[in-house]
Amino acid sequence: MSKILEASRAGALAAPAHRPIRFGRLGAFMERESVFSWLMLTPPLLFLLAFLGYPFIYGVYLSFFHKEVARTADFVGFDNFVKLYNDPIFWQAVRNTIIFTGVATIVKASGGLGMALVMNQSFKLKSFARAMLLLPFIVPTVLSTVAWQWILDPGMGLFNRLLVVSGLAERGPSWLGTPTMAMISIIMVNTWRGLPFFGISILAGLQTIPVELHESATIDGAGTWGRFRYVTLPSLMPVILIVTVFSIVITFFDFQLVYVLTGGGPANATHLMATYAYSLSMGAGQMGLGSAVALSMVPVLGLLLVALTFFVRKD
Amino acid sequence: MAQPTQSKATRRDFLKLAAGAAGVAAGPWVSRNAQAKPVSIVFARESSYVKNFDVHFQNVMAPAYEKATGIKIEYQIQAAGGSAVPQLVSMVENKSGADLAWVQQEWLYRDALVDVSDIAEAVGKEQGGWYDEIKRLSIDKGKWKSVPNGNIGQLMNYRRDWFDEVGVKSFPETWDEFLEAGIKLKAKGHPFGMSMGHGFADNYSWLYPLLWSYGVTVMDKDGRKVALDTSETAKAVEFVKKLYKEACIEDCIGWLDPHNNKAFLTGQISCTNNAYSIMVSAKRDLPEMGKVIEHGLNPKGPTGQRYHSLVPVTHGVFAHSKDPQAAKDFLRWMMDPKQYRPWIASGDMYFAPYLHAFDKVPEWDIEPRVKPFQKVLETGKLTSWPAPANRQHGEVINRWIVIDMFTKAITGTPTKTAIAEAVSQIKTIYG
Repeated sequence: MSKILEASRAGALAAPAHRPIRFGRLGAFMERESVFSWLMLTPPLLFLLAFLGYPFIYGVYLSFFHKEVARTADFVGFDNFVKLYNDPIFWQAVRNTIIFTGVATIVKASGGLGMALVMNQSFKLKSFARAMLLLPFIVPTVLSTVAWQWILDPGMGLFNRLLVVSGLAERGPSWLGTPTMAMISIIMVNTWRGLPFFGISILAGLQTIPVELHESATIDGAGTWGRFRYVTLPSLMPVILIVTVFSIVITFFDFQLVYVLTGGGPANATHLMATYAYSLSMGAGQMGLGSAVALSMVPVLGLLLVALTFFVRKD
Repeated sequence: MAQPTQSKATRRDFLKLAAGAAGVAAGPWVSRNAQAKPVSIVFARESSYVKNFDVHFQNVMAPAYEKATGIKIEYQIQAAGGSAVPQLVSMVENKSGADLAWVQQEWLYRDALVDVSDIAEAVGKEQGGWYDEIKRLSIDKGKWKSVPNGNIGQLMNYRRDWFDEVGVKSFPETWDEFLEAGIKLKAKGHPFGMSMGHGFADNYSWLYPLLWSYGVTVMDKDGRKVALDTSETAKAVEFVKKLYKEACIEDCIGWLDPHNNKAFLTGQISCTNNAYSIMVSAKRDLPEMGKVIEHGLNPKGPTGQRYHSLVPVTHGVFAHSKDPQAAKDFLRWMMDPKQYRPWIASGDMYFAPYLHAFDKVPEWDIEPRVKPFQKVLETGKLTSWPAPANRQHGEVINRWIVIDMFTKAITGTPTKTAIAEAVSQIKTIYG
């Protein structure tokens, strides 16, 4: 018994104090940083490959084929893209998508910055207000868009009732009944939904700016605008860049909102590339052509993102 | 041309390889059960607006079939509002899912449906014969690929009390009278709300019949030549522009299918083209309004003809079903008058049978305001009419080309240009 005790004590003394459990060779291999990091990365990578990589590659594959539902695919090279080049609805969808994404992103970025600056001040019920501002981002898009259908209703909708009751107008505009108003309406709803994302992210950025920077700028004679222009804004640029890039991607691919609110109408005035790709693939059964529309979004989006990154870095 | 086949096979091979190990293990089980009767059949259908129709199926028909055969029927209800077609397309592409279904836009995947001629012919013989127009949808290359179940009738839904107020005692017989009534009603604050947006029924159900009543069709009978480019089309477009400007609520050019129901039930419009779902909602939730809703036939055009648009419900059996014969047996049982007639009656004739045996059944008399929907079958046409209901026609429909011809003209595009653009797009689609 005493021998066993001695042996075990000797073993205990021989073992390094910071490593109470021995894993053996496999354990040591897995503990290597290069191996462990890959172990952690593999599940999400497999997930992304299965649910994003495979559909994307299959989409690229389909865009070079004449593929109709329930029929085999015929290789057609760039024929689908040539068809799209000659399709006026496609070009209208491209224009609409760029206008929709551009305007909505600018409004969301500037509005989000304003929201963050206000939320960074101290006032009563600040936490409650912050939580409430996140609501549009939390509510499922389809649900909130159905609510917007009611809000934008010409006769019974909240907006037009407010306009009439407040005496600002005899009757409100037709929010979804003219091409221009329909585009304004979808941009408005997208902005409402996406604004909190900008607001909360920029607020987080604001809170990382050291107070000393503001203090020294004040000592140097900078006013409120000067501090904002030369301290706050440059410090926030990395956050604004990242949030804007994310927002452009999300807005560019927006589908649910338009599908529920206008279906791309009236007269294709709100047809985006995503809704057009869907109507071609799922409605008309032209899987190849629909995939070509979807794939056409990638270079446009890529150019936008490269231009934005270049602009910000240069700045 | 060989490349796609090769690529497709490679992809399939990969999937087969992935399933290989499981297949080896499951082999004995599969072979044991291959000969056995299926335990269940999956039947997919878009939810019915008349809830009792689905309830009757679930509570009466499915248990009765299980009792008689031992086969459980899994009733897969799909949400209404346009999501059924993508689900069906997905089933066909993945070769999995339901055994049989309400095969909406069946022209997209007829090749994936089994021949059900034996059932359709037996049912037709047994129940007075099929209406001719529906055969043009269900029969493909001489074979029935679906069995018609019923038509969702689309008619003019209007407020009797408001029409009376402006002295219009009976529903207008012609489009010109319809416009005249609309002008009077709009002046009283009760405009028409004629859907013209990117919906799937309430826009086609009056714009196509209007075109037809002007003597215009989109394609010729064979579906080879675009027939839209005529002076009569221009007249129809000009009429719709006038109707919109002088008689309609401004919003309606952007309306999807639920919008006109909402506008009617909130008292914003006096007339729209719809199924009788508006009356169902009003009777349930707004009883006073429910008493004054009536249904009128589509007016006649300059040709003196009146037309309606069919919204067909047809059932088909997927070739990917593990046991297509079992699904066919169930379909045959479902269409037997013993099951079919009470089922149709449970839905208050919302789905009007395309069978002549139902032309004069007393079920049509339960609600007199529903009876006009039976008349839709007499003058009803498929949206492809007179051309075949094929993929190209489906593409024209799903890209809203004819609907947008009207709305473009309304929103400022010259009529001639709007027609020329539509014609050019249709020519591209038909090739």
